[in-house]
Amino acid sequence: MEAAEEIQLEKKAKKQSPWSIARRKLVRNKLAMLSLGFLVLVITMAYMAPLLTGYDPQRVDIINRNQPPGEGFLLGTDASGRDIWTLLLYGARTSLTIGLVCTAAVIMIATVIGSIAGYYGGLVDAILMRFTDFMMNFPFLVFVIVLASIFREAGIWALIIVLSVLSWTGAARVVRSKVMAEKENEYVMAAISIGSTPFKVIRKHLLPNVMTTIIVQATLLLAVMIVAETALSFLGFGVPTGTPSWGNMMTEARDPNVIRSYWWIWIPPGLAITFTILSINFIGEGIKDAFNPRSAR
Amino acid sequence: MSSQKPLLEVQNLHTGFNIEGETHYAVKDVSFTVNPKEVVCIVGESGCGKSVMSLSIMDLLPKHNGKIDKGHILFKGNDLVPLTEEEMNQIRGKDISMIFQEPMTALNPVLTIGYQMDEVLFNHTDTRKEEIRKKSVQLLQQVGISRADQIVNEYPHQLSGGMRQRVMIAMAIACQPQLLIADEPTTALDVTVQAQILELITKIQEEVGMAMLLITHDLGVVAEMADRVVVMYAGQVVEDTDVDRLFYEPKHPYTKALLDSIPRMDDHREVLNTIRGIVPSLKNMPKQGCRFVDRCPSAMPECTKIDPALGEVDKGHSVRCILYDASHPEKKAEV
Repeated sequence: MEAAEEIQLEKKAKKQSPWSIARRKLVRNKLAMLSLGFLVLVITMAYMAPLLTGYDPQRVDIINRNQPPGEGFLLGTDASGRDIWTLLLYGARTSLTIGLVCTAAVIMIATVIGSIAGYYGGLVDAILMRFTDFMMNFPFLVFVIVLASIFREAGIWALIIVLSVLSWTGAARVVRSKVMAEKENEYVMAAISIGSTPFKVIRKHLLPNVMTTIIVQATLLLAVMIVAETALSFLGFGVPTGTPSWGNMMTEARDPNVIRSYWWIWIPPGLAITFTILSINFIGEGIKDAFNPRSAR
Repeated sequence: MSSQKPLLEVQNLHTGFNIEGETHYAVKDVSFTVNPKEVVCIVGESGCGKSVMSLSIMDLLPKHNGKIDKGHILFKGNDLVPLTEEEMNQIRGKDISMIFQEPMTALNPVLTIGYQMDEVLFNHTDTRKEEIRKKSVQLLQQVGISRADQIVNEYPHQLSGGMRQRVMIAMAIACQPQLLIADEPTTALDVTVQAQILELITKIQEEVGMAMLLITHDLGVVAEMADRVVVMYAGQVVEDTDVDRLFYEPKHPYTKALLDSIPRMDDHREVLNTIRGIVPSLKNMPKQGCRFVDRCPSAMPECTKIDPALGEVDKGHSVRCILYDASHPEKKAEV
């Protein structure tokens, strides 16, 4: 019997951690890989912006207003004569920074609150979840607009903090429910029975098992955060007007004249937002699929 | 043996669950002792409180509604009940450890075997990392895993049920505990593997010199392993005796009925003996009288009125039944 087991195990000599299995599945997912490639490209270009353009994103050039794409200006210029290509690159930097930092902050808050509430249950859970409900019930848009206008001088960091503080609730609930389901498993009791502290049980046993959910939540949140930034900036309550961002670029499209006659001003940021969000969502779906043992990809 | 100081003494343990605002006792007034190096089996049907009892000892009851209400659990003379979580963590895995029923779920699916093995040693010793890994491999070899140095890098799903249970045993004995609680360690395994695991547990138990509290519903396992047997029914101890007397002179009607339900090779019945009915659920437990009365073949009208006490009928043999209750001598004649 031992021998039979050994032969069987020999066949699985390849690394068999759930992570490596998921990674193999993800690599085989063409759409997700394509999207990942695109997203990496966008991020690289955003942070290497000074190498890809010679213009200053903030420089106003009255002579070259509303120039169509062509020589000198790859994608034309806007109403203030700023180079669209340059704005797009620097705008990506702002939008992605806001998206990534907010996501990281939100996931951190959500994981801490969700896992503590889910693991301890009872009174701790009740208090933390009522607090979550309380935060959830804040009218998001109104609150963001008010706070962002109060802390306008702080630039994009004010927006990042406000967005993070108001957006962790949904993810915290998801993490909590996953932790609650996961802690019923006997391995948690087994871990406690060998003398592991609650902190250790959460960190080393529960979190790796809910990590898949957290990762999927994070990708979806990244998309939501980028959209939130663009939407708020479009309304004029997001990133300060001087700072280039995709949302700020879209603001120009509020002028019907721009929509009618100067397509190069609003189509590039529009497409950039659309494709970035789309690729993030495809990656999220891909990860979800990869971690789902029932999907045979 | 009775001159020894007992390793574990459970005294009048009451473990209750809060269901809809009312406390229902899954373990009611349970007392027994385990001496050093002794194997005590707890036997009973599903739902009779065996597992809740073992969880009470380890303080692993579900926090939100399970609670020890009364009673003491003395381990080497120290009461475990009032200890804090941190103090219990010092004991769990080191002095008392536990093997669970389901080796399939008792190991964390996303962590390697080695990582989980190391955790016990890491929690209770200040050995260095490389040393710990070496010790883990040794322990795995001790429980009869031949490719121990490779197994440590593998994940639970790559191992068979028997192998996983061996890993669990290796984890449980890592710190040379004085008491091992095994909650139906072989129930989830197939028969051939069961025998191997039981053999392994016996071997290890002798090597390490630990006492064992074996929880099972399999009287075959009891016959093979036990020194002493505690029969539980509906949260109470109904009979407490040594293994020979359990099989040759069972006293309590429940014990007799359990023994009668074992299928035997040597008779050719078409229908197996069963005990009719089921263990009453926590909420439907009779408030007064013997808890076995509805299913008892020798029930009398008095049984519904008098709560029988656990009384010694012989030296080292206690029974909870008014048939043997010293306070009702007139009933004794009817046995």
